[in-house]
Amino acid sequence: MNSSSFAFGAVQDRALTANTAKTFVLPDKCFKKYVGCAWGRGNKFTIYPYSHTESKTPNAAENSENKLLSIRQDVLLFRPILRRLVNESNGTYLSLQKAAETAKNSDNQVEFLKLSRQFRSIIRVCIESLQKASEQELNSDDRNTSSSYITIFFSIECIWHLCEILFVDSIPGDVVMPYLLEWVRFNFPCHEQTAGKLLEACERGAEDDKDYWDTVIGMIVQGRVDVARALLKLHSQGESNDFKLVDNSLRSMPVYNVYGGISTGEFQILWKHWQAECRSKLSSGVLSSQPKLELIIRLITGEYKAFESIRGRYSSWFDLLGGWVMFTAPWSRRHELGAAASACAGMAPGRTKLDDMVRALLEGDLHQLIHEIQQISDNGWFATHLTDMLFHCGKLKILDDHHNNVTAKVRESLILEYGSLLMEHKSLWSVGLSYLATVPPEGLRRAELILERIPIDTEAKAMRIVAEAKKYGIAGIAPSLSRCLCARHLQARRLGAALCWAVRARCPGAAQRAAHAALRHYTQAASLAARDLLLTAGPAVLLSDALLFLGKYCDFHRLYNSREFKKAGDLLVSLITSKIAPDYFWKTLLLDTLALLERDEPVFTSKDTYEIMLCLELKPSNLEAEKADLLRLALARNLARTALAEGEDPGEQ
Amino acid sequence: MPLEVQGKFVSQKINKVRWIPEEYVETKCFFTGSWDDDINTIKVWTLDNPDEDDEVDYPHELSSYPVEGDVTQIKFTDKNKIAVSLSNGDVKVLEISVYDKKLPLKELFHFKKLHNYGKEKCSCTSLDTLEGDIATVGEDGNVNILSGRRGEITRTIKEADSCSLHSVCFIKHNEAITGNLRGHMKIWDLRSSENKPAASFLLAGDELAATCIIHHPTQPHIILAGSESGSLAVWDLRMNAFPTSLVNAHTAGVNEMQFHPENPHKLITCSVSGELWEWNMEAMTKSSKGPDSQLVTWMPLDDKSSMMVNSLISALHKSINTLHCDKGRILCGADNEAIYLVKNFKY
Repeated sequence: MNSSSFAFGAVQDRALTANTAKTFVLPDKCFKKYVGCAWGRGNKFTIYPYSHTESKTPNAAENSENKLLSIRQDVLLFRPILRRLVNESNGTYLSLQKAAETAKNSDNQVEFLKLSRQFRSIIRVCIESLQKASEQELNSDDRNTSSSYITIFFSIECIWHLCEILFVDSIPGDVVMPYLLEWVRFNFPCHEQTAGKLLEACERGAEDDKDYWDTVIGMIVQGRVDVARALLKLHSQGESNDFKLVDNSLRSMPVYNVYGGISTGEFQILWKHWQAECRSKLSSGVLSSQPKLELIIRLITGEYKAFESIRGRYSSWFDLLGGWVMFTAPWSRRHELGAAASACAGMAPGRTKLDDMVRALLEGDLHQLIHEIQQISDNGWFATHLTDMLFHCGKLKILDDHHNNVTAKVRESLILEYGSLLMEHKSLWSVGLSYLATVPPEGLRRAELILERIPIDTEAKAMRIVAEAKKYGIAGIAPSLSRCLCARHLQARRLGAALCWAVRARCPGAAQRAAHAALRHYTQAASLAARDLLLTAGPAVLLSDALLFLGKYCDFHRLYNSREFKKAGDLLVSLITSKIAPDYFWKTLLLDTLALLERDEPVFTSKDTYEIMLCLELKPSNLEAEKADLLRLALARNLARTALAEGEDPGEQ
Repeated sequence: MPLEVQGKFVSQKINKVRWIPEEYVETKCFFTGSWDDDINTIKVWTLDNPDEDDEVDYPHELSSYPVEGDVTQIKFTDKNKIAVSLSNGDVKVLEISVYDKKLPLKELFHFKKLHNYGKEKCSCTSLDTLEGDIATVGEDGNVNILSGRRGEITRTIKEADSCSLHSVCFIKHNEAITGNLRGHMKIWDLRSSENKPAASFLLAGDELAATCIIHHPTQPHIILAGSESGSLAVWDLRMNAFPTSLVNAHTAGVNEMQFHPENPHKLITCSVSGELWEWNMEAMTKSSKGPDSQLVTWMPLDDKSSMMVNSLISALHKSINTLHCDKGRILCGADNEAIYLVKNFKY
């Protein structure tokens, strides 16, 4: 399990060893010798004391120490502040899938870029809200966690931005240098405020500011030559020859432009020429009295030692990357950045995770990159979304050990993992479902399994789960969920609800059970359940024999109560003769005839009477002897009446 | 001005939104009720911009009131009092201070386990209010009439339905209509002591739930119901039994509908399929003399082409659970844990 941390209820335990496996210390002594473990839904399990030998004499004192410990993964993304990110990015993710669908027929790079920017703006919003929250945090522990989240999302933004430049955006001629500078300025802004302040003041003698030279150098390595020149002019000796010389070098620096009308080769000649000129100024020693100016010239000629000397002023080598590319090979294409990255990274020892990721990215090793970002403890949010983005842009190609293309598989597995994680959450299950639904068929099957196990406490939730499942064509959920609710109601003897859910499930078995329960209930309580339902049920009663019988029997009651005895009698006879009534109900049916037999007007014809008599004699065990005799008497009397009447009017026969 | 949509992610699925009415100024505050979360809340929000560098107002949370279970319905019993139904079977009457909306909500009445299966929990699925009276329905199939002023249960209709009830609406002071899980609609005369409906009819033949019921603001005998299947049924209660028209509307269940308070020809609906639609009902409500010189109020079934329907926001990927309009602004709450404010709506 690639979990970042576990939470034991409220108690958080630190990992003791951090190699491949993590060790967690349980808060109390929970078991003596043996322990059992049972998985719950999602990344949740319960451990409990377990004994191989069943103890014959239960010892109360011993048992009292036994505890069940429920352990779950502590998921960062489930925190309210990050749920915004989850939901908002879900919308963008789904738009991306739609865009990818249309991109099959036409190139849709612009749309992808737009969506990639959308993702970045979502990350930005998230960082901002985290910053706001961390300012308001009073507890220092909470502030620390907030700031660690901020760090995580800062690096995510940084990597995403670089990915966007290198793989999503279509850059004219693939010359990435200007974009790379932009990336440096955006993600590692420094000296910008000082530069702004100095330029705004616009006073000579700006070198009195202690950050003056740092700012000038900073602007140079960020490739903002114009700003650097403006700052140099503010120096009290700005008009001196030395300064003019540097200014001239900076001004005459050739700028590579794809649309400039000259080929890379021609430009390289121009560039070499300019560099040689700068170097000659250095070697002539005219600037030896101004070491700072000398440093500038050394930097713009791309001297490794000069870059190395200022590396200590920056927290990372990314700050220097833009400048290094700009002053060594401004015509670099995206796939030529690996060397620059290793040059810059080599300027100072030590490496961080972010370093590894940026280097993998600049070297174009996306497999390595994805491997690295999976280690970020954001529960796979970044890995999933970035992989998906790169996959749709057609930039991802991952080969396994046997050189099979497994790109689609990698994407799929990340999405499956992320979607399943979200489905664990009480509220985010629908978000998770929409992820799983994008990777059929595996995703849909997983979704079905998880949906079936979501606890349902209200019908509203049941209906929403069914609606969501229907949206993605998971047909199995609606019947199984309805069956489950039907069984639950049936167990609690709520017959109306049980019948209703059985009908919704369109499940003959459930309908049969519910109908039998209703019929048995009638034989005991003599009141018919769910009359309103049965009288309006329509074709749904055809689901099962018992339900059909129940519906008809209910109709008989309606007719009887509205004093339509003739019709009620006919229906009753048809129920008796059709022989679909369950055994336990015969008694009720036969006794029901009694009330109709006793009417002043004869209800049953002689033929009907014979039928009832036949049934009575065929099923003698259903009635007590006394009642049977009573019924026989009534039947005989009715026969006498009807036989006479029918004899008088032979036309009726 | 064109329609403008503004969204805010609030980290909870929103089941109900309600503007809080104001006397003399534009409404700024609103309630939200959440569902399907570990701890659900009723929150009060206001629209403002604390930085004052933006021209756009954003919702900010003023107070939060945690509840047990899901919030299933919020309706006003008075200008500053709301009745709230919860999925644990409780109903609460809460008050918000007129002067300072930041103050926490005050609980006036709490009807504990109003709806129940004996000891088991059972959801109170919906309620409606009329002049301080509250009608509640639950999965237990009972209807309760409460007095929102005195905090009493004035009437209980036991087993009003054999299945669960999902929607309720007052037609008159003494008459209410309920809809159940199968789309079986029943009209109850609240004066009669008998537990039998005064009339009953089916929403459609598909055995799907009636998810919401409203009546026309100026012609109260006209009742609209939304179905779980997404269709919309209209009845003229003067000749009930069959719906006058049944329109296949949304692709999935209708969650809530509202006639625009300022213009009764406009109906707004939202659905599980993530749509927010505006209907021009003028053609439907025009009165005309039928062949037998009877007043025909609603358009005949075969004339559906003349209906005007507009989509107000591009369909969301998740269900829109609720909407509430106030003049040109429509608030809606959705399952993607966001609230949306649609501005410049022409009514």
